[in-house]
Amino acid sequence: MAGAVARRAGAAVSTRWWHEVDWILIGVTALLVAYGIVALVSSTHATSDAPALLRARAIHLAIGVLALVAAAMIDYRRLAGAAKVIYVGTLLMLVGVLVLGESRLGAQRWIAMGPFGGFQPSEAAKLALVITLARHLDAVKALPRMRSLFPFAAHMALPMFLIIRQPDLGTALVLLAILAAMLYVAGARPGDLAGIAAAAAVTLPFLWRILHDYQRRRLLAFLDPGADPLGSGYALIQSKIAIGSGQLFGKGLFSGTQNLLRFIPEHHTDFIFTVVGEELGLIGATVLLVLYLIWLWRALNIAAGARDRLGAIMATGIAAMIMFHVVVNVGMTLGLMPVTGIPLPFMSYGGSSLLTTLAGTGLLLSIRLRRRPGH
Amino acid sequence: MTGSAWHPRILRLGVVIVLLFLALEGRLWSMQAIQGRYYLDLSEQNRVRDLIVPAPRGAIFDRRGQPLVTNRASFTVSVLPMEVPDPDRLAEVLAPLLGIERQEILDKLEAGRRRPFESVPLRRDVSKTIVVTVEEHRIDLPGVIIQAEPVRQYLLGPFAPHVLGYLGEVTEEELRTKNGYRPGDLIGKAGVERVYDDVLRGDPGRLQVEVDAAGRPMRVLGRQQARPGRSMVLNVDSSLQQVAEAALRGRSGAIVAMDPRSGEVLVLASAPGFDPSLFSGGISQANWRRLTTDTNLPLLSRAAEGTYEPGSVFKIITGLSALSEGVVSRNSTFECTGQLQLGQWIFHDLAAYGTVNFIRGVQVSCNVMFWRLGMAVGEPRLARYAKALGLGEPTGIDLPAEAAGLIPSAEWKQRVWKTPWYPGDTLNMSIGQGFVLTSPLQIARMVSAVAMDGKLVQPRLARRILAPDGTEVSSFASRETTVPVTLPPEALRTLREGMRAVVNGGTGAAAAVQGLDMAGKTGSAENPRGIPHAWFAGYAPADSPALVVVVFVEHGRRGGEIAAPIARAIFEAARPWLAQSPAGQVRP
Repeated sequence: MAGAVARRAGAAVSTRWWHEVDWILIGVTALLVAYGIVALVSSTHATSDAPALLRARAIHLAIGVLALVAAAMIDYRRLAGAAKVIYVGTLLMLVGVLVLGESRLGAQRWIAMGPFGGFQPSEAAKLALVITLARHLDAVKALPRMRSLFPFAAHMALPMFLIIRQPDLGTALVLLAILAAMLYVAGARPGDLAGIAAAAAVTLPFLWRILHDYQRRRLLAFLDPGADPLGSGYALIQSKIAIGSGQLFGKGLFSGTQNLLRFIPEHHTDFIFTVVGEELGLIGATVLLVLYLIWLWRALNIAAGARDRLGAIMATGIAAMIMFHVVVNVGMTLGLMPVTGIPLPFMSYGGSSLLTTLAGTGLLLSIRLRRRPGH
Repeated sequence: MTGSAWHPRILRLGVVIVLLFLALEGRLWSMQAIQGRYYLDLSEQNRVRDLIVPAPRGAIFDRRGQPLVTNRASFTVSVLPMEVPDPDRLAEVLAPLLGIERQEILDKLEAGRRRPFESVPLRRDVSKTIVVTVEEHRIDLPGVIIQAEPVRQYLLGPFAPHVLGYLGEVTEEELRTKNGYRPGDLIGKAGVERVYDDVLRGDPGRLQVEVDAAGRPMRVLGRQQARPGRSMVLNVDSSLQQVAEAALRGRSGAIVAMDPRSGEVLVLASAPGFDPSLFSGGISQANWRRLTTDTNLPLLSRAAEGTYEPGSVFKIITGLSALSEGVVSRNSTFECTGQLQLGQWIFHDLAAYGTVNFIRGVQVSCNVMFWRLGMAVGEPRLARYAKALGLGEPTGIDLPAEAAGLIPSAEWKQRVWKTPWYPGDTLNMSIGQGFVLTSPLQIARMVSAVAMDGKLVQPRLARRILAPDGTEVSSFASRETTVPVTLPPEALRTLREGMRAVVNGGTGAAAAVQGLDMAGKTGSAENPRGIPHAWFAGYAPADSPALVVVVFVEHGRRGGEIAAPIARAIFEAARPWLAQSPAGQVRP
């Protein structure tokens, strides 16, 4: 793959390139993707669409690996240089999905893409906004008071509004988490961040009004799962039964009864963690969480060792994105978080998500490849 | 690999991440290691069941707030399909106990398999004996449960069944075409229950319960309250309706009473009727067969779904069209010799009345005069006026089924009968015979238009919708239009003078109520099925109409002798109603 290109540039560069790559990050990413495929096969093997799902997953993976390699090879500083184009393009995509998008499950998140199925611009938007916000933050050297945070809040608010309109509450919340983490690492005072959070809390009633009925039901179902046992609460109760019944060692791969009986809706997408929890038990679930922790450790390490402020902020944003996805998604299946419908990175079936997370991994590698000397 | 120390802020971010993951791990530990056995039990035995909690259906009231239909508690024997190890054996045991066919039980179980964790009702409104017997045989009847469920209660007995309608289990067809119903649900099948099903039915609640090995609910895991349906207030006046139904007892026929100003239907009676409570817990095969095979057609609403020859009542149209088209005036005279010669045929009237003017001709219902008027106006214009006044088309009343009736034309006759329109056809049409078919409700609407200077109202049963707490949600207003023909005031005045004469010493004298200025027209409609139908259609007070009454007695023979006295009883009973008009009505 990239090796051929690098080797042509000379033996010295080749050796250096080889050593600069974060092989732990690549290894742990590969393990997570493999784990996801195992869980996908296990959760769908009893259904007739299993071969089709697996074939689609292979295509997603191939495209995702290409994106990873491409992102690793491109200098992240050049990417940041194109921030304006990326930002406008992202907004256009988000408007596009509102205008021409396809509705699935009550939300308009997809743009049809022929044989590849659909593309979900809100997934790619997360990574795009990490890049543009990093560039934006890099342009200012300090964030001395609360007012200096406003331009960045506005930077995120516009795409967030479009995403909530789709409506995709989960992704909008991810953007909020990314914004907070990046502002913090860029030097915002914790008190100012808290102030912004308080301001956001004030707008909650407004947010409640623009939510769709099903989103309100999900939030309410989180607060009181018994209130709607067959709707959102149903998924929660069944998800908890599945995971809890896995006990320490799980029921064994391909033996989950809850998933087989299709108790769990969307079990190969947003609820894939229930498959792990039920079939591989506490051990399997813990292994998965540890893999994510290792991934996040590497991401923050890349942030810490980045050549410049831009790289550090960008890497933090990517780490925050993955962290928030994992915590909210797993928390949701455990009944700790509302059912927001955001995917589990690398694991959930879904091409846009896999493409985005692998490209994000590539971007981390790009920052790593150009890190501070001696770090 | 980490050459130098992390920036403190990145480090703190890392600490936050570790803490969040520890929280997830802690939760996993508690669910899988500590509560794991409990969840395993739930999952292994599939012990979570969904029980449907039926929503109480909205009540139906008459215009003064008198409850007509409410709910009463009953027991339903249901089954949880997942819990049934041997459907054949279950059907074997249950069929004789519940008094239903084995195949019916098997069919319902099969239909329920699509939602295997939801209960399927087998028999509603079972007796206490059945409840006790089922409970005693629990062990032999795994998966069978008894649920409390409200069923319809008809407070006035067999009252206005064609208006109220009845419920039945939703059919495959309805499941496909309507949203929000499950197999076994009850749905309005006729009358107001059907038209306003969406209003009356609430949203069923659900109970997610943990069940024991026999499928008995042990513990409630989740609960969704049922949302009761909204109630309907009808325009029907139950005391007037009861007078009408009493008057029709022992006969076949229909009575309509309507406010011509608003289209509010106060009476819509049809005889013979039936007892809607037969349908309360699901109608038995035997009762259904009895109702559907009865040659007196008790399920048919004669007021809205039946169409009959209007006979001389149709002379209102003939007279109105002739007056409006200027072919006759109040003082034109006619020789009522008792017969009319048309080519080689002689048409006979019932009697000879000598020389009459238009008013007298209406009063005595002189066929010769109306034959001559009909010939002068011609079939196309007769049909145009008839249709303009709403005959030959549904009235738009809020009922699920309504007949269109028929106003014939030369083109129609050529198409259906393959014969040309003869002058004799025009004569027959002029006196409401031959091919003309109308429903009593259409006649009421037509008479309203005459009484109200050409204002054509949509008859309406629904008055208001009430929330479960009794507050008004919305109220109804009738669509009203003006007839699409020009009715000169002079023409209307002359026709109405004739109709007043009918009740004052004319063929409809038997309808007269002491002290009430009335107008009307009788009809005795010959028909191919037997004795003529008796009709009376009229309104009062004559100068400010507040009530239109149409009485139709199938094979009643003479309108003036049979229908008019019934109309008199209705007007008599409606005195309080007429007394408060035109000052406006009291709202319930």
